[in-house]
Formats: sequence, C-alpha cells, structure tokens
Amino acid sequence: MRTRIRRLGWLLASLYFAGCAVPSPYEPPAPPQPTPSDERGSQVETQPGSPPTTVEESQPLPAPPPREPTLGAASQALVQQAQAQLAVKNYAVAAGSIERALRIEPDNPLLWIELAKVRQAEGNYVQAENLARKAVSMSVQAPRTQAQAWQLIAETYRARGKNIEAQDAEAKAKALLRR
Amino acid sequence: MRLSKTLKKYRKRILSGLALVFGIALIALLVWVFLLDRTITAQFEGRRWSLPAQVYAEPTELYVGSPLTADAIELELRQLGYRRVDELKQPGSYRRRGGQIELINRRFQFWDALQEPEQLTIVASNRGIQSIRNARGEDVPIFRLDPLLIGSIFPIHGEDRIIVRPEEVPPLLPAALKVVEDRKFDSHHGLDFGAIARAAFVNLRAGSIQQGGSTLTQQLVKSYFLDSRRTFGRKIEEAVMAVLLELHFEKQDLMNAYINEIYLGQDGRRAIHGFGLASQFYFGKPAAELQLHEIALLVAIVRGPSYYDPRRHPERARTRRNLVLDLMAEHGVIDQQAAERAKQRPLGIVNAKTQAAGYYPAFLDLVRRTLRRDYREEDLTEAGLKIFSTLNPHAQSEAEKILAAELERLEKVRNQKTTQPLQGVVVITRPHNGEVIAVVGGRDASFEGFNRALDAKRSIGSLVKPVIYLAALETGRYHAASIVEDAPVEVKLSNKQVWRPQNITQEVYGPVPLVRALAQSLNLATVRLGLDVGLPEVAREFQKLGLEREVPELPSILLGAIDVSPLEVAQLYNALANGGFNTRLRAVRAVLDEQGKPLKAFGLEVTQVADPAPVYQLNQMLVQVIEHGSGRGARAYLPRSIVVAGKSGTSSDYRDSWFAGFSGSHLAVVWVGHDDNSPTGFTGSSGALPIWAKIMNTLETTSWSAPAPEGLEERWIEFQTGLAAKPGCGEDIISVALPPNVELAPAAGCAEPGVIESLGERAREWWRNLTR
Repeated sequence: MRTRIRRLGWLLASLYFAGCAVPSPYEPPAPPQPTPSDERGSQVETQPGSPPTTVEESQPLPAPPPREPTLGAASQALVQQAQAQLAVKNYAVAAGSIERALRIEPDNPLLWIELAKVRQAEGNYVQAENLARKAVSMSVQAPRTQAQAWQLIAETYRARGKNIEAQDAEAKAKALLRR
Repeated sequence: MRLSKTLKKYRKRILSGLALVFGIALIALLVWVFLLDRTITAQFEGRRWSLPAQVYAEPTELYVGSPLTADAIELELRQLGYRRVDELKQPGSYRRRGGQIELINRRFQFWDALQEPEQLTIVASNRGIQSIRNARGEDVPIFRLDPLLIGSIFPIHGEDRIIVRPEEVPPLLPAALKVVEDRKFDSHHGLDFGAIARAAFVNLRAGSIQQGGSTLTQQLVKSYFLDSRRTFGRKIEEAVMAVLLELHFEKQDLMNAYINEIYLGQDGRRAIHGFGLASQFYFGKPAAELQLHEIALLVAIVRGPSYYDPRRHPERARTRRNLVLDLMAEHGVIDQQAAERAKQRPLGIVNAKTQAAGYYPAFLDLVRRTLRRDYREEDLTEAGLKIFSTLNPHAQSEAEKILAAELERLEKVRNQKTTQPLQGVVVITRPHNGEVIAVVGGRDASFEGFNRALDAKRSIGSLVKPVIYLAALETGRYHAASIVEDAPVEVKLSNKQVWRPQNITQEVYGPVPLVRALAQSLNLATVRLGLDVGLPEVAREFQKLGLEREVPELPSILLGAIDVSPLEVAQLYNALANGGFNTRLRAVRAVLDEQGKPLKAFGLEVTQVADPAPVYQLNQMLVQVIEHGSGRGARAYLPRSIVVAGKSGTSSDYRDSWFAGFSGSHLAVVWVGHDDNSPTGFTGSSGALPIWAKIMNTLETTSWSAPAPEGLEERWIEFQTGLAAKPGCGEDIISVALPPNVELAPAAGCAEPGVIESLGERAREWWRNLTR
C-alpha cells in the first residue's frame, strides 16, 4: 500500500517535472546519491556498466521466431548409442551416454527429453517428470520440443495413475502444437 | 683321569640326553618350517594385495566442434604420458604435423564401455577440432581419451600400488632386474651362496654393509612377510621362507609378485609399491609403455628408493641408471648401441605437481566422503575399485595457481597487522549436472589436512541476499523494479535487545528498486524485505535450494549470520544457476570393481525447487551485480562479451570475503579468510571477486543466457530509481524482466504514453545482445 502511494506521488512529481532539465525523483536523506560500494581498499579497476548501444528509435522487432533445437553430430551419435543400450534395458549406461552429450550441449532440451525417456523406461517416473520439466524450461522458444516434453510428462503421470494431471499435461502439449 | 672315568660312566646318558635335545630341536625346527610353509603358501597363493581404489579424472572428449586447439590436444596427450613419435605403432603414442594430430589411444575400461586402441587422425585449427577420422577414413563423431589417474584411496599404513599382469610387463624389465639384482634367479633355489659370499667379502673389506647378497626371492620375502629389522634371526627366517617359496611356486609367479610388491618410492604419506604405480608416479604412464631408459631408472631405484630418488637426487639416479644400462649391455640383454642411446636420454620424470595422485587432497577427500555413504573404508582401500570422478584437471590446476598467486598479492596490499597467512577456497561446478570439477582447499593445494572447502563453516554475509530476494519474488508481491525502503530499521530480538543493522558504507539510500538493493548489497533494504517476506519463508528457501540442515529463524540470518561451508554455498547457488532445478553436487560418476564390472553409477537427477520465472528474474538481477553493483570489479579480468551473474559476501568485521557466481556453463565459489577467524580487511569485492573473475576467465566459459520464461516482459528502468525509462531518456538504464502489466512510474521525460509498451521488444533485444 505504502509503495503504491509513493508511486502515485512519483508519478505526479515526474509529471510536474516533465520537461524540466534536472530530473530529481526524490531527495535522499543522506548526501545526494551516494554510491555504496563493497570495494573498500580494493585495488581492482572498475568500469561502469555499458549503456544500451542503440539510442535512436526504430520499429519494434517482431516476436522471435520459434527456434526448434537440433542435435550436434556428437550428441546424435551418443543418443543413438543410448537408444541401442535402452533397447537391451541397460539403463545406467544409456543414461551415461546422454549425460556425455549433455556435457557438450547442456542447454539442448532434446537431450533432457532423451534422458527423461531413459528414466521413464526404467520406471523412475518421478525423475522422468523432473527431467522433462527441465526440458520444458529450456524450450520456451521451441513449441514443438516443448510439446514433446509435456507429452512425456503426461506419460509419467499416466504411469503413476495420475490421469487428471496427465490430461492437463497433454492439453498443454496439444495447445503448443496448434501454435 | 677321574673326569674321563665319570664321562665313561655317564656317556650313555649324555649321548641320549644330547640326542633328545637334538631331537626336540629338530622337531621344533620341522614344526616351525611346516608352520612357516603353511602361512607363506596360504598368503602367497591368495596373493591378495590390498588394492587401494584408483581415482580417475574426467576423460577429455574429442568431437568436431570442440574448442580444443591442436596445442591443447597435444598438452592433454602429454599429461596423459602419450609419447610423441615419428612412426605410430603403439598405443599411448602420437605424432603431430601442424594442426593434424594422429594418435593411437590406450586400451581402457571405462565404466560403461571398453575402449580398444584405435588409430585416429584429428585436424584442429585455432577455433577447435575440425575433423576426426579413424584408420579406415571414417568420421568419428565423438571419442574420449583415457582419463588421467589422479590418485588413490590408500589405507592408513599408506601402501599404494597398481597391479600389472605379466603380459603388461615389458620383457626388458625382468631381464634388467635379474642382471642387476639376482643373476642366478633362473637357476637358484631361493638362495645364492656365491652372491652371499661375494657380498660378505665386499662388506668385510669395506667395514660396512655395501652390498646385499639377497636374491629376488629373498627381497620379495622380506618385503612381503617381514618387517625391515635386520637381525640374524630374521636372516635365517628369510632364507628358509625363500627356499620354501621356491619349492612351491614357479619362477614366473615369483617374478610377477616381485614386480608388484617391491617398494619404489615415497610420496608424502603414500608408499609407492610395484612397478605399475611407480611407472605412473615417475613417468605418468602405464608400465606397458616404459622405454629402455625408463626401465633402467626404475631398476636403479630398487636399490634405494630414497637415496636414488630421481626428483631429489637426479645426478645420483642418473649415474646408477647408466650403470644399470651398462650391466644390461655387458650381459647381453641389450646391445651396446642401445645402451649408449638410452644413456643420452634425460631422466624423463614428470613433474610431481602436475601429475597424479595425492596432489588433489581436497577433491579426493570429497570423493572419499561421497563413497563412504555406500562403501566400507576397507572396500575403498583394499578392493581395487576404479572410481570415475568429475575432476577437470585443467580447471583444478588453474584454480590452484590463481588462488595461490592472488592470496600472495592480497597479503601485500592488506593493511591489517597480522602474521596470519591468508587462506582461501575455490569450488567449481557444472551447474546443469551438479558435477564438482575442482576443489581447492587452501593456498597450498597439495597440503593434506583440514579441508576448508568442506569443513570450514563460515559466516556468509551478503551471499544470503539472493536467497531472500528469491523468496520475495516467489511471493508474487515483488519484482525487480519494486521499490523497497533503505532506511534505518530496528528489530526486537528475543533477548529483549534491539538490533540496528547498518549498511557497509554506514549510509542510508532511501527508496530503491529491488534490483539496485541487491546489486549494491544494501543491508537495510534487505532486512526490511526479509522481515516483510517472513523469516520462516527465508529459512525454508535455504532448504529448498539444497542446504541440508535447519536454518534458525533469526533476524540476523538476513545479513548472513549463518555458518556455511564453501561446498554448501556451491550447492545453494547451483540451484540458481540451474534455473531453479536442484541437483545434488557430485564428485563421482561411477564405480567399477576390480574385474571391471560396474558397481554403481551416480546418475544425473534433478528436482525443480523453484519456478523458472522468479529464478530468471533473480538471475537477471545477479547479472546487474556484475554490471552495476558490487561485482563490477570482475570486468577488469573478464571480457565484456561473457555474461555472468554473482554476488559478493562480506561477514562482520571483514572476517570472511566471499564471491559466488556463475556463467552459462560454470559456477564458482571463492572464500578468503583467516583460519582463526580474525579480520582480514577485505570485502567480498576486494578479496574474493578478483580471484573468482580470473578463474572464470580461464575456464572457456559460456555466457549465462537462460531463455526468458513465458509471461515475463523485458522492460527498461533506471537502475538508481526503478522508474520506467527508455533508451535516450532516463539515467543509467538497465533492462529487467517483469511480470506482465506492471505499472511503473516513468522517469522524467519518459512519460509519453504508449511508448513504454513497445519498448519491451527493444529491451528484450538489448538484453539478447548482452547475453549473446
């Protein structure tokens, strides 16, 4: 509440000062605008943060196009290896191969999905869900990939008999694919 | 006369008495020999050396697109003891022409696969690896080199060894041993009386023991069954045991036992036994790859591992090595030319500091403690386990070097009058999988003792602030531009005292946006924020992020009066760096048993502990710590193009100096302080920050660039005031991610209606440029 009133005050104040040469939104109680520093006794050279580089106005940019991830050659080979290992139920080794790929491409949601699939096959549904959620968080700009992750989450719920949650997750996957 | 008479009278008795005594002595002797025989055969047949667990670093992955240059690959191969040759024939060798490296890798049992030797051709430019092909010209998408052996978990008595099988022993080694130590080995029955007589003669003439006449079998017995006391009784026992061993076992078995048993050096508390380990210890490679001059040196060392220590007495060792080579030539084991060539070679000892075992005690301690949850101490020290750790030797050695150099520099600039040496800790992890890739436990990284990284629980000061701010963001009542009051605050404590916290500058800053309060580490604003969010919520946040113990719900925790180890700090910040997913820090990937069967894999597990949106907002604010706040100093060492996030921490009276922060691919925590907890005079920014920045700079790290979660809008605000701004209007403008439709008062001159909304995209673009 207090902050809201304060904000209103600022709004009025800044409207009042609009056009004034010296903007001064508030009077600090201490000496004007001291810059606190954690740097006492420091020998470290500091540089100011860079201001935004573009100053002139331009058209707003269009929304970022979806960027569906792909796997690099090394990851592809490792995922293939993992799938072969998965086929013979060698879960620990399959997971190990995906982890190798993840060390190379930690931000690739496809690999998180692959790891989730290994855990799902192993019957470790909680981890499968967690890993798929990690994939969801990594694929904000990739609706197809994110849909895949939600679909997998739905399967982990279904495997645990949580049908309502499974339907929700599935709906999310479908909505993403319609985009 | 009388005597002879009496003698005659008692002759029978005396004789029978003597016979009895001899008889009993004989029986006793037989029983003794029999018992001796039983023990030694039982022990020898079982032949279970207690095999300390061997710990490997993470293997280097070679793949197209890897940033490794040809120089980096060659350095890697050299550290692994690969030999540069003109013609590729054997595993463990390579040749190089410019950016092209050809190699034959070693056979190695990884925890998930057996890697057979293969000839590979790697082409690398200064941008990284361009292609990898095998001998058939096929593309190899990914390949891992055999990992560096970094140490072993040996028992208290300190005996460490690596067993080699007979087929792994280069044939010249037993030949050289025989020539130098026991020329009659193939024919004697355990003892060589000629050699004993020769030795006795030499020793008598010199008046002291110059030469031993022991056969290899006797030496084996002495090392295997007896302690080192040199008494006459021991000598007899040794001789009998040697003969008995020869009766029961083949020469080949005895030679192999000797090669694995014998003592060949000392490394602190660790005794180097057997040629397998000695080969790693002195040359950094497996025994199978030993060359003539190296074999000769090891054989030279047998006579006196401390007297002929090639690191401490290189000249002495060289003289004896050359003597061994001469003997080998003289007895026709090698030809004279080969001996002469080998004599020209340098000793070829690897630097003890850059190589192997015992030199990463803080990290190995973490490995040991991890495994102690699943294994008994004896399993670790005796069962011959192979442990695949997460250590990255490059990151580890850079962190050690930088820490040592920086602490020295800091000691010179500090104005505190104290003789206490400054101490420091570094922990580095990979946030996405929680792997600990480096641990430095003090300025002398090879010192084995108090492991500060794990056991020094110190006050973390402002390192707690991100935890409080995350709790605040999660309530939904706060965002980066929310205004908090940095004004004096009084807190009534349970003991009726009143707590009046202060800012580090002793000043007061008035209303400030959250992002600035965090970036400039304002204490008053933070205490107010924390009290508003609630102490139980803040305490719970610690546990959510992975602190495995209770946090007291006391107001003082808001300023970091809570004792946490550097490793625990890494655990907390790892969850932030990993976008709100917690993964338990781990130092071990997998364990194999002696036969190479997988025992355990420590797989990657994640748990979502916070929503991505508040974590993203927090992390963006932590980026502002580096861009605008107490972390600015990092830019002196870290190129502007790498986006990093972090937080400094200073405990009361400057006792502890902390910096914890992360990029896209690494998290590092640095602590600087005194062991006796006395003030150092350094803040987090002046002490730990430069160390942190320099380390991050050596890691080839990538920018923090988490994707913005849905539902957040990038907006421009003034850093100082939190008022809405846009490029060209407002001062000190930054971009922050805010929940949708947050109303912000505009900064002066930025009030044109309708513009602010369209600015979201521009802000996003600016942010993207920054985080690219």
